[in-house]
Amino acid sequence: MADNEKIVELVRGVEGLVTLSHVFVRINQLIDDPDSSMADIAKAVSQDPSFTVRLLRVANSSFYGFSSSIDTVDKAVSVIGTSRIRSLALSMSVASSFAGLPNDLVSMDNFWRHSLYCAVIARILARRAGKCDPEAVFTAGLLHDIGELVIFNRLPEQAKDALLRVLDSVDDLPIHEAERQAMGFDHAQVGAELARQWNLPSLLQECIGFHHSVCDAEHYPREVALVHIANILAQMAEIDTLDQEDVTAVDAHAWEMCGIERGAEIVELVVREAQEEIVELEKLFIDSGQSATR
Amino acid sequence: MAPPPIPRPPLVLPGFEHVRRNWNHTYGTYAARLLPGEYYVTSNDEGVYTTLGSCISACIRDRVSGIGGMNHFMLPASADADGWKSTSLSAATRYGNFAMEHLINVILKHGGQRQNLEVKLFGGGRILANMTDVGMRNITFARDYLATEGLRVTAEDVGDIYPRMVVYFPATGKVRVKRLRSLHNNVIVEEETRYLSAIESKPVGGDIELF
Repeated sequence: MADNEKIVELVRGVEGLVTLSHVFVRINQLIDDPDSSMADIAKAVSQDPSFTVRLLRVANSSFYGFSSSIDTVDKAVSVIGTSRIRSLALSMSVASSFAGLPNDLVSMDNFWRHSLYCAVIARILARRAGKCDPEAVFTAGLLHDIGELVIFNRLPEQAKDALLRVLDSVDDLPIHEAERQAMGFDHAQVGAELARQWNLPSLLQECIGFHHSVCDAEHYPREVALVHIANILAQMAEIDTLDQEDVTAVDAHAWEMCGIERGAEIVELVVREAQEEIVELEKLFIDSGQSATR
Repeated sequence: MAPPPIPRPPLVLPGFEHVRRNWNHTYGTYAARLLPGEYYVTSNDEGVYTTLGSCISACIRDRVSGIGGMNHFMLPASADADGWKSTSLSAATRYGNFAMEHLINVILKHGGQRQNLEVKLFGGGRILANMTDVGMRNITFARDYLATEGLRVTAEDVGDIYPRMVVYFPATGKVRVKRLRSLHNNVIVEEETRYLSAIESKPVGGDIELF
């Protein structure tokens, strides 16, 4: 398909501009290698001093709420677990990975704040929903809009056209539909292609690719639905509203798909909790992520 | 079932032919889209809408006859640092007066009664953290202007850090204000900056046409 080829080309165009951190790539390899041990992973972490410091900071923060203090990498890896360390490594490096893709349409601070809101809300909802890994869903939330950064950097004129279409529409045209009108595809498709070219886990590929079209989910409907809902509640947290009329509507299937009963109470609870946590989380995941590359 | 055909747009008052109007599915009416510096008055059942960053919009109507409209403006910056403050401030105020007077005068000219006027005020957000609070300056101006004119503000949503979309229906006085997510900040700022440099590049002496 022509649009598909365009998307593949677009993402190839940012190769080299966005690079995942060495430590993430290394951890990823080790986890996939059946012969590697926890000690190997701890060693890989230790080789990146800045990552080590930040990992220990997150491990001891309210993000996990462990009761005992975690003062060594070995302890962190064994307490947090290897697959969660992988999610965490990706989450902690993603903001700095995208520093090479600047744009004039949205400030990185605002972009990552929304992403982080989505991540933390997805994680809260995932704990309620059960039957899924809240840490993986957190990472999916943090990454859900990465396609936007590719579009904003590579196709600034069309991206601006899409944003103007949203402002011109009193009918609440969602951004992904405006993008399809302006360029024939949307940021979810672009993000999914980037995740595919990076060989990110298929859970992440699906959450990124289908966060605006939950019914297309193949193997991870629950996680996709969680990220979809979290994206919309994140917008409510950002503009500080509890009225769902103020934001795009949640897909009616999404609540069913993740097994959470919909209702105003849950929305209020989650939005307020996220608003309380956001400042602390920005310090852990965004500020430090960017200063690491400065 | 085929959607009902879109009716023809209602007649426009003279002087507003250039304002873009679109059929709006949500409200089932036409709606005029205001850009910074524009205003629109209507005696029909139609909407007026705009997006506001640090700009401000007054929505004014005759609550009895239903004629009314909206403006969208900001004060040009005063050049404090260059010692031109007093001159620039008065020029800025003159610009604001101009925006407010035009809206009110056209409403009155088409049958609105001063004692029936109902005013709502929106915008003046501080959408860029590193910017001086030009939004507040616009709010203060609008409030002062309305107080001087003896016009009471019946509803407002001003200040704070959010850009807004405002949809106003003069016939009923109904307003919908929606805060916009920060994704839209830069595009709105760019639109307002372009407008600001246009009004600032007008020589002060050229103001004669305003009065």
